[in-house]
Amino acid sequence: MKRRTLVTAALAAAVAVAAQTGAAMAMNPVLKIGFVGVTSGPAAAWGTSNQRSMEARAAWINETGGYTIGGTTYDIEIVSFDDQKDPKRAIAGMEKMANEGIHYVVGPNVDDGAAAVRPVAEKNGIMYFPYAFPKELYSAPASNAVLGMVANYQSGPAIYKMLRDEKGVKTVAFVAANESDPLSQRDSGVAAAKALGLDVVSSNVTYQVDTTDFTPVLTPVMRSRPDLLVLSGVSPANAPQLIRSARELGYRGLISTETAQDARVLSEGAGDLANGFISVGGASTPEIASDMMKEFVDRYTAMFGEYNDESNTKVYALEYILETLKANPAAIDDVDEFQRTMDTFEAPNPYMKGDAKLRYVGMSSFGQKRQIAVPLVVNVFNDGEFETMFVAEVD
Amino acid sequence: MEQILANGVYLGAQYAMIALGLTLIFALMNVLNFAHGQMYVLGGFVTYTFYGQLGWPFVPALLMSCLTLAVAGALIERFLFAPVIRRSAREESTMLLAAGLAFLLDAIILLVFGEKQRGVPKIVNGVLNWDFRVIMPYDRILICGLAILSIVTFILFMQYSKTGRALRALAQDRTAAELMGVDVARYSMIGFAIGAMLAGLVGGLLVTITGVNLGMGGPTSIKAFMMVMIGGAGVISGAIAGGIILGFLEAIGLAVLSQYGDITYLVIFVSLMIFLAIRPRGLMGKPWG
Amino acid sequence: MSKPSPAHWIGLAVFLAAVFVAIPMLIAASGRTDFYFTLTSVALLAIASAGVWLMFYIGRIHIGQGAFALIGAYVSAILVTKAEMSFWLTLPLAGLFAAFVAVLIGIPILRLRGVYFAMISLVLTQVVTLTALALPITNGAKGITSIPLPGAISAFGITLVPDFADIENTRLAFYLTSCFLMVLTFAAMHRLVNSRLGHICRSMQQNEALAASIGVNIAHIRIIVFSISSFFGGIGGAMFGSIAQSVYPSTFVVADSVNFMLNCFLGGLGYVFGPMLGTLVLYFGWDLLFEFGRYQLLIYSGLLILAMLVLPNGLLSIRPDMFRRSSK
Repeated sequence: MKRRTLVTAALAAAVAVAAQTGAAMAMNPVLKIGFVGVTSGPAAAWGTSNQRSMEARAAWINETGGYTIGGTTYDIEIVSFDDQKDPKRAIAGMEKMANEGIHYVVGPNVDDGAAAVRPVAEKNGIMYFPYAFPKELYSAPASNAVLGMVANYQSGPAIYKMLRDEKGVKTVAFVAANESDPLSQRDSGVAAAKALGLDVVSSNVTYQVDTTDFTPVLTPVMRSRPDLLVLSGVSPANAPQLIRSARELGYRGLISTETAQDARVLSEGAGDLANGFISVGGASTPEIASDMMKEFVDRYTAMFGEYNDESNTKVYALEYILETLKANPAAIDDVDEFQRTMDTFEAPNPYMKGDAKLRYVGMSSFGQKRQIAVPLVVNVFNDGEFETMFVAEVD
Repeated sequence: MEQILANGVYLGAQYAMIALGLTLIFALMNVLNFAHGQMYVLGGFVTYTFYGQLGWPFVPALLMSCLTLAVAGALIERFLFAPVIRRSAREESTMLLAAGLAFLLDAIILLVFGEKQRGVPKIVNGVLNWDFRVIMPYDRILICGLAILSIVTFILFMQYSKTGRALRALAQDRTAAELMGVDVARYSMIGFAIGAMLAGLVGGLLVTITGVNLGMGGPTSIKAFMMVMIGGAGVISGAIAGGIILGFLEAIGLAVLSQYGDITYLVIFVSLMIFLAIRPRGLMGKPWG
Repeated sequence: MSKPSPAHWIGLAVFLAAVFVAIPMLIAASGRTDFYFTLTSVALLAIASAGVWLMFYIGRIHIGQGAFALIGAYVSAILVTKAEMSFWLTLPLAGLFAAFVAVLIGIPILRLRGVYFAMISLVLTQVVTLTALALPITNGAKGITSIPLPGAISAFGITLVPDFADIENTRLAFYLTSCFLMVLTFAAMHRLVNSRLGHICRSMQQNEALAASIGVNIAHIRIIVFSISSFFGGIGGAMFGSIAQSVYPSTFVVADSVNFMLNCFLGGLGYVFGPMLGTLVLYFGWDLLFEFGRYQLLIYSGLLILAMLVLPNGLLSIRPDMFRRSSK
């Protein structure tokens, strides 16, 4: 027993030393921004596009001399922690961020992780930007979470309303994976559709995320002959298969989702059958992307070999953090200052053409400004590319 | 009704193939191969690379999947499983090795092929629509046919070839086979290679329909375990039966229970537990304690 | 079994001093406060793994401990949020409820052996996850969130345990609590293994039929051991729910069940303290490899395979003369 204890102690000591020698060597002082999310295992796609967006942007900033906040120019360092989509690991990741003295963290990617890190974040003065939708994360008394994208209960109604008014959609069916996030999104989607006077003809059908054949899943849904099929919270891996199965079963209506998708994945997995598929995206469609967005896509592609369209929304969180810090340099190690600034903060949106603004929103959904204003861009897939259907704003 | 049958046959055929490789490895060496699903995913990615990316014809690409996995399987057996089995006090210890291997393959696949869902062009277009009673795309029919053909070939191989007979002898009784002059080490390696190759083959076949992504490995392994348990561990016919039963269970369950969506799989899993509680060795399994 | 020698007692004292004094001091000195949570996790996961180890001890490969951890987490969360009970009261109740479920399920499934039991326990994890998604009392997919921190315990007007919400260093409080539970668990395990029951378990691991033939009611013993094992799982899960202040159906999943089992393998199936060491190395190892970024998983799995090749009987087999139980 003695030996094991010694080993434990030695290990702890070795780690403590290793941690202190790991500091980066740079000319500018370093500003660390954290990322806690899933970058390995089955759900690796979700966090990877996050992490890479941040790294691509940070490398760009550093290459062009750094980022100036309150007269000091910083190099940006992204500290990433892979939580393996495990809420227990996510807590460990947030603890690590606290230990590194980081006050601004992007992630986690899923509901359970975002809920689990809340105590640590609030205790240690960390603002975090999850990609999870539960309202209690962002409504008082919760104070430190900022929704990093448009929630489905915000985009859903906008999409359904447009389809009702312009495409004559009357009946809707929902399918969702049998997991927390998609099921919650389905429930709020159903509520939104009903509020708009749409007839929900099927909402009970669910599938396991590991389904390899969606024909039996979709057969009963197709029997209800909906005008619109909503794939609630669908992962980019499942979307093309679901679309393909629905079309092969002879479905001719519309298909939509409220999550971000990737064009190449859709065209590889479903080809022409995915034409007309409606999803929510960021700002990289040619109609609205600014030159800076285009350069971001180029740099991302050069750095990692292949762009991911999900990054169109995920590019924003880091930009918001930095811009807000620039607006109030005192917030750099004081999140109370950050929270005060959020109420009035406004800056031009560099990724979109025109005079779009970066600002914090969420009053109507959460009763406080705890969401970043990402343009609600609704895309339709056509022959391998996304086209913008309409752009809306969240308040 | 016809649609449910068709779905069941299609699902059953692909499941049976996945289960075959797993049960073969289990029968030969009592290794519960946690990495089976990852091998399947790797097979899918190899076919994706050759057929989807490099523009090879489908069949040679499929053969590359088989070859890659067979070689990988042989090496894994020779350098990892064989030494550990030889030296560990309890043979279940290989489960840790298998799990480590599953993590390793996951890591390699992530680094080499990336995190995204991948797909390949369809091998045949068009959908068979028999009066809206059975709707089945032609490529699924083709893949289903190929899967059944592979299963039949495998059975014939095990039944009539010299290697097949040696493997069966080995599966039945390791010690007796050794006494009869079967080169146990060599045939263990061959058996493992064939098991891995089957995983690669089915991965390559299914990539044309479902595409492939990193996350499919773990759940596939678990599904394969279930099929093997239903049919009975370590028995070839049991694996086939288990695959077909699970396929039909899903097809029927999804059709009948769709009203209660959220609990379809709960019902499937619970009935599986009840079934195993009643038949503790599956349908036709040999006892193993 | 030999009587505990003075060396054992000294070892125990050193271990306790390290866990309760030295490690907190080291953490305070190095400023690595994040290790508190990591080590808290290790302690709690080790408790659950201990239950799995106990099942190995009667010759069952148990890949379902995640199910009992999830049950424990939910029981405690529901009692705290809906019935407004004190967390400290719900902790044993969570364990007892998990044990109760284990008895009900154990009666049919403990007849299974080998891979069949392994598989059925694996399916059990999925069944519990799916049940949690479907039931109203667990709040389905939305999970239970905003669970209050553990309150104070006082007896005769003296506060024995302060309210966690008022403590400045909750990390330390959770760490000490979890380590205390871990020490209790392993003390119980050690006691059990060296008791008559432990002796019977060992004979069952070798040969159940033989054990039955010498007049042991093995069905009873199996149920007892399974419920003790699940009790540990329930406790570990409940404690985790309280730290995260939230429970979701995905809080414990199949991957956790598999990890509990791997902890036992890595530490060594022949050693009571195997699960503790296995958990420490597996869980902490992942955190230590954090620096390697995208190669983290590759290196982690590579090391795991290497460990298996070098020490196929577990890490503790490196000193076969020290902890070896008379396994053969």
